Amino acid sequence: MIKLEDVTKVYDGGTVACSNVSLNVAKGEFLFLVGASGSGKSTLIRMLLREEEVTTGTIWVAGKDITAMPSWKVPYLRRTVGTVFQDYKLLPNKTVAQNIAFALEVLGRPKAVIHRQVEQVIDLVGLTGKSERLPRQLSGGEQQRVSIARAFVNRPPILLCDEPTGNLDPATSVGIMRLLDRINRTGTTIVMATHDHAIVDAMRRRVVGLEAGQVVRDQASGRYEQEESVE
Amino acid sequence: MSRIGFLLEESLVNMRRNPLVVSGAVLAVFVSLFLAFGALSIQELVRTNTQQWQDGTHVIVFLKDARDGITLDSQVALRSEIDGWDLVESTEYVDKLGAFEEFKKLFPNSPVADNIDPDVLPASIRIRLTDSTRYREVVFNLIDQPAVLEVVAPGESIENVAQLSRVLNWLGFGLALIQGIAAVVLISNTIRMAIYARREEVSIMRLVGASNWFIRIPFLIEGMIEGMAGAGLAVFGVWIASRVVGDVDAAISLFDFTISSGFFVKWSILFLAFGAVAGVGGSALGLRKFLKV
Repeated sequence: MIKLEDVTKVYDGGTVACSNVSLNVAKGEFLFLVGASGSGKSTLIRMLLREEEVTTGTIWVAGKDITAMPSWKVPYLRRTVGTVFQDYKLLPNKTVAQNIAFALEVLGRPKAVIHRQVEQVIDLVGLTGKSERLPRQLSGGEQQRVSIARAFVNRPPILLCDEPTGNLDPATSVGIMRLLDRINRTGTTIVMATHDHAIVDAMRRRVVGLEAGQVVRDQASGRYEQEESVE
Repeated sequence: MSRIGFLLEESLVNMRRNPLVVSGAVLAVFVSLFLAFGALSIQELVRTNTQQWQDGTHVIVFLKDARDGITLDSQVALRSEIDGWDLVESTEYVDKLGAFEEFKKLFPNSPVADNIDPDVLPASIRIRLTDSTRYREVVFNLIDQPAVLEVVAPGESIENVAQLSRVLNWLGFGLALIQGIAAVVLISNTIRMAIYARREEVSIMRLVGASNWFIRIPFLIEGMIEGMAGAGLAVFGVWIASRVVGDVDAAISLFDFTISSGFFVKWSILFLAFGAVAGVGGSALGLRKFLKV
């Protein structure tokens, strides 16, 4: 579903954000990207969205080489990739339903379809009865649920999450992870950059560790910290 | 349909957020197009009025009468002489009674007309020329004739008016051009501010896969609305001005201040279209550096 081949990203100032990263993510997989701040996790996510262009190397997303993709096709790429961020990125003057509907409106879906899909996804993320509330009337966890609903309402095959629990307390984070797990079980591929030890350790999914822009480990059912191998 | 409605709504939301900046852009377009339309209308008035002159009497010779020792025969002789000149196409003799009738027509409600003695008004010869631009030669030949009281050539004053209007036109068009550029720049600036005010929404739109055009269209519509609103105000302003000047027209019938409705409608449509194009152009300028994928 996602494939990176020798991807290197060097910013204008000469900072190397990613160096020779090669990675394969299968359809339906749940992958944690872990590493300290500045290790290149967010840059990797941004490159998968074509918000950043690679310096060298190739990235395939959903079977398409996005590094060679003309800019006018990038919006179509983003329709196949849902995104969830630490700061939720909700529009403060729109209600829950309007925030979620926004993702479908920009795609030009008919009003009736939008209404139906928004109602469904609001139920799915556990916000039934709160569709008319504004973001400021919701808790952090609820706002992140709205953000996930917006990312998922279009049923994209891939979901990219950049520190989705970064602003949430542990109990709320568990609720969000349960939701992401449910979405993953519908067949959606999820790549999640995180600092949250507890969550990675509890979920025991594939873990890719980054350090100074390089992949330092890639473990199936891994933990946040590298486990010492027992001889 | 829902897509068009959504885009239109997005533009109106933009405009509601920056009412002052939007008003500034609209006013800049208004001033620029009002000046341009005004200058054009003055040019049209001068053209139609000089046209009337070219088609009508080119030189009027007021004649002395018996009180100055000039007999009717001398007047007739002068007319015959004038008729013989190469430049003259035709002449018409208006006697004192004819002059009185004309006076009554010019000032229909004036009490003076009832008290005036027709004998006071001079008889005249109205001359049509084969080439209206050469009226000076005819005036030159007439001035020293003993029977001539005064020679009037409307062409002279019309030429002055035309000269003045040419200066005003250049001035008007110059100002309109500068204002026009200012309007486009202001619209472009308004759009930049609108993008800045909505940067969060724009970034989210990009995130969820809105195409570049889908993001740009509301801003282009906003520019178009601002341009058209300014042009609409300019058209309205010129219409009001033409009505006010039209009232003056009733009092002074020597110069016709009426703008034909055909001219007004044609140019109103063109100015509205120009406002829309300038608005969209200004927006496009504002959008140029922004909203790259």
